[in-house]
Amino acid sequence: MNKVSTTLIVLVCLVVVSAMAAITFGPADIDSSQLISCLVGNCQNPIANVVIWQVRIPRVLVALVAGMGLAIAGAILQNTTRNPLADPYLFGIVSGAGLGATIANISLADNLTIALPLAAFLGALFSVIIVVFIAKVLQRMEQLLLAGVAVSFMLASITQFILYFGEPFATNRVIFWLMGSLARVEMSNFYVIASVLLIAIITVLALHRQIDALLLGDESAASLGVDVDKLRLLMLGLCAALTATIVAYCGGIGFVGLMIPHIVRQLIGVTTLKLIIGSALIGAIFLIWVDVIARSSLPHAEIPIGIITSALGSIFFLFIMYRSRAVT
Amino acid sequence: MSTLLNISQLSWQIENKAILQNINFNVCKGEVIGIIGPNGAGKTSLLRCLTNQGNILSSQNITGNVQLKNRSILQYSAKEVAQHFALVMQKNETIFALSVQDVMKMGLLPHKSLFSLDSDHDKAQISLALKKVGLSNSLHSHFNQLSGGEQQRVLIARALVQASQILVLDEPTNHLDVYYQHQVLQLVNKLNITVIMTVHDLNLASLYCQRLLLLDHGQLICDGTPEEVLTPEQLSKIFGLPCQQSIDAITGATHVSFYLNESNEQHSHFSETLDE
Repeated sequence: MNKVSTTLIVLVCLVVVSAMAAITFGPADIDSSQLISCLVGNCQNPIANVVIWQVRIPRVLVALVAGMGLAIAGAILQNTTRNPLADPYLFGIVSGAGLGATIANISLADNLTIALPLAAFLGALFSVIIVVFIAKVLQRMEQLLLAGVAVSFMLASITQFILYFGEPFATNRVIFWLMGSLARVEMSNFYVIASVLLIAIITVLALHRQIDALLLGDESAASLGVDVDKLRLLMLGLCAALTATIVAYCGGIGFVGLMIPHIVRQLIGVTTLKLIIGSALIGAIFLIWVDVIARSSLPHAEIPIGIITSALGSIFFLFIMYRSRAVT
Repeated sequence: MSTLLNISQLSWQIENKAILQNINFNVCKGEVIGIIGPNGAGKTSLLRCLTNQGNILSSQNITGNVQLKNRSILQYSAKEVAQHFALVMQKNETIFALSVQDVMKMGLLPHKSLFSLDSDHDKAQISLALKKVGLSNSLHSHFNQLSGGEQQRVLIARALVQASQILVLDEPTNHLDVYYQHQVLQLVNKLNITVIMTVHDLNLASLYCQRLLLLDHGQLICDGTPEEVLTPEQLSKIFGLPCQQSIDAITGATHVSFYLNESNEQHSHFSETLDE
């Protein structure tokens, strides 16, 4: 068995162990024997049964698929744009989602359970449509990232303008939502995110050779029979749908898509098949444990998960910069 | 020899500038053809049209026909074109740490379906191609860490894995030192497949190509053997410098030398070049 296969098997085991372990963390004291008996349908404690099945498992499963999704979206974007700094958030997805959430909060205060994720999703898609439109008008698909940054700032400024004149309570709600949290997720959210994730993974696995061909340049890929613009647009749409779905339920969780593929490249490889599988597994492990930190570090409160991912991400990148400086 | 490619009345005009003008020629199986000419003559543009890169022949600015095996190239899908032509471009840069194996696997793409994985046959093909270019031990090396000449040889090996009938190279000796220039072109010559390449160095083109196409201002000025094409009259007119033709004592190939005398400084082409 080669090094890559061994690494992947170890990672799969770590995902399972992390998910099981994460279920035992939380305010209610649940040990591993209780967990196993409840999982096999032999639960002695009805409260523990409810906590495990209705609170902990949905949360851990959403952390798992959200971590997978964000890491995969980053990996796809980095390979299709040949830019290791590409991240779904740079395409204005979070700013768009933030604008959608802000409008929902200000205008639909009564029915936010459905309206907020829906509005966030629509806002995220709206931003991606603008980004792609600008890149198309400029006829330079490689400028997608720059267009994304510009659109991101534009939508953020509209959001801030609305919030500045908006009701303080609604403003607070939006700001907390943008910090990201898995505290209110339900099992239905898991099903939605998992479905989009599955479609994304199947599409990427089908087209992994085409995406790889882009790694040596657009001309080289075109000479191998790849329709470069169409492929890039499809992948961007896929990443937008995936990130928008996750952001809609979990809020802003930054740096996962930027950081995880970077680690996978060092550990497993740079080609799409290895990168996607590795990113899915490490992304899942990462977000499961970050969520554990978010809900267990303070005694009576949770830290928004986006704060932790951003803090870890920025330290990670400073470390990478320091290491590359040491090498050169 | 059977005709693989037939180019007839090919013209490409952008606004008022003619990129290519009424180009006509055939390519037969097994030929090694060099496209030569000064900068801006239309060499790379011609390659782009021959291989219909980015479906360029559908553009309204381009007229004429490119036929591959007696069928218009427009009737072939992009994947089918890639099964017939393997391209080695001038620039092949990647910022990711691709291994030689990763680059080689790209050559399998035109023959693979969705979801397909690598078979043992694919791995054997990759090993064989690397052996042919003398890089058997470099399968796991980083592509970016290879020398320019080695990178070109890997890309030629990728073209072999692509199993195409025509190898198209755009300035394959650019940025290579003399040793690697000869190594790469000798390799291309030994492959025994049809080769079309643009070459800047006229003496290298003469040494390694059976047939040369001389382009200037988008026009095909001359099509023939190196001896027929590399005449002092033609080259002096096109390059704006006096030229002498000789036979290389060692290789027996036609050799051309350009030189400068005072009258050249009055030559409009030369003055323009200096002004630039």
